[in-house]
Amino acid sequence: MPVNHLHNTANALEVRGIGKRFGGFWAVQDIDLTVRPGERRAILGPNGAGKTSLFNVLTGDTSATTGQITLFGDSVTREPINKRIQRGLRRTYQHAHLFNGLTVRDTLFLAVAGLRGSWRQVLPLRATDARLAESERLAEIAGVADVLDRETSELSHGQRRQLEIGIALAENPKILLLDEPAAGLSPAERPKLSALLMSLPKDVTVVLIEHDMDIALQTSESVSVLYNGRMLAEGSPDDIMRNEDVHRVYIGGAHGH
Amino acid sequence: MKQALTLVPLLILPFVLNDFWLTQVATRSLILGIMALSLSFLATYLGVVSFAQATMAGMAGYTIAFFGPNSVGIGVQLPFWVSIPLALTLAVVSGGLIGLIARRSRGIYAIMITLAIGVAFFYFTRQNYALFNGWTGFSGVRAPQIAGLSLRDPLPLYLLSLGVAALALALVSGFVRSPLGLTIQAVRDAPGRVLALGISVTTPIVAAFAFSGLLAGAGGILNVWYQERISSFSVGLGPIIDILIISVIGGLRHPGGAFVGAVVFVLLDTFAVDLIDRERFNTLIGVVLLLIVIVAPGGLQQLASDWMARLRRPEAPKKSTV
Repeated sequence: MPVNHLHNTANALEVRGIGKRFGGFWAVQDIDLTVRPGERRAILGPNGAGKTSLFNVLTGDTSATTGQITLFGDSVTREPINKRIQRGLRRTYQHAHLFNGLTVRDTLFLAVAGLRGSWRQVLPLRATDARLAESERLAEIAGVADVLDRETSELSHGQRRQLEIGIALAENPKILLLDEPAAGLSPAERPKLSALLMSLPKDVTVVLIEHDMDIALQTSESVSVLYNGRMLAEGSPDDIMRNEDVHRVYIGGAHGH
Repeated sequence: MKQALTLVPLLILPFVLNDFWLTQVATRSLILGIMALSLSFLATYLGVVSFAQATMAGMAGYTIAFFGPNSVGIGVQLPFWVSIPLALTLAVVSGGLIGLIARRSRGIYAIMITLAIGVAFFYFTRQNYALFNGWTGFSGVRAPQIAGLSLRDPLPLYLLSLGVAALALALVSGFVRSPLGLTIQAVRDAPGRVLALGISVTTPIVAAFAFSGLLAGAGGILNVWYQERISSFSVGLGPIIDILIISVIGGLRHPGGAFVGAVVFVLLDTFAVDLIDRERFNTLIGVVLLLIVIVAPGGLQQLASDWMARLRRPEAPKKSTV
């Protein structure tokens, strides 16, 4: 297991004893997770395992009921999402809440301007604005350059997913949390997504929730498996493939359909 | 550019219309349109329906009355070049404060909160004599003379209202293309997501309300010059509902709709006497509103552009087959 406690540089993400309770129900409980800088980690688990709940707690979309979260050595457990974003944390959402009335260009512009803290300007945007050029570059990377002037409400599901990734890549992310980026993509779009994930700079840490085993195992060097809100197993893709518990609850279950 | 072309007939209007039409219909429509624009702006770009626009307009109107010539002997006379910026500033500040109070509310709750503020302001003006002169308010408010030109005369007041209306529309279309304006629209679509871009949600909401306060304040200043008086009735439930009706008739999806709605409203208001009994105006406007909501939920502006699109469409396939 790639743990790095003795090393001087802080871990990208360190989670200790995280739990999230909704009423009487623990969505996740007693989660420990350590992700090194530059690591590619997949989080697997059947539906309802608590993967997205864990992400929500990590980003600050919801607050943790118990436990501690550390980003690059700094405790962020009590920080709101916009502060964590400024530390280089980014995420995509499984059910994309995009700005339906804005174009792809304007959406990516806001991602750039938001992170640069330059969104308070009241004068109309000029076509020559450097931030617009940057948003076009992001659209190029994410594969939505051909729909720059389309409103996001008119995008296909796959394009929305790609736009999500474009938003997450704005302003040099240090750690990316991708929530099932391949869900709902066509078989033709999946390899493109894999290629995009593989092409990310090596120093970017990626934590990926993925149902698609192929994408997960192809793009990740280590895997954590969640089951019923708890960590079931951690290890290399090979370890996970051989793990009997994992086979029983996840792989076995998936084949059982 | 295209918008600027619509100014041409509006500039010719004074040569065609007599003073009654110019003042009672054209100028009044422009002023009500500016006030309704302040609501359409909020509804279209922030997605919030505010019932407090009459309060923001009233803040500006009362400031002009208090610091200008009036016949009730209350207030301090200041030159217009001091009182006008002061009135606009107070309208912007009151807009921002209302935004701050209503910032966590959406939908019906935003309506309730802004309505509560509007009604509270109405009762406050009725009970405060030192600043608002109770329910009688101010009368004999005179529009200033600028460079020998009295803004009380029909033509200068019309041209000023037209200029302010054009400026207000230009400001709106420029502002919504600014980074802050885009942020406001993003808050409308997905506030949680705006936070996830490292942007605070409060600032865009307060800014949107403050900007709507600027528009409402401009309308409020013109209105007090036009009416030459202001009282609690200028900020009560009547004007609150009128502004809403105008916005809905014109359509909340395009800023220009506010002026279309205002013209229809003023024509109905002015000529309801001839059509039906004067006391039945509310019935008439209610029926019109009902028809709009059923037949054209996007308002008259939307209805018109849909018709234009339908007229153009038959040509399009022909081109593509050639």
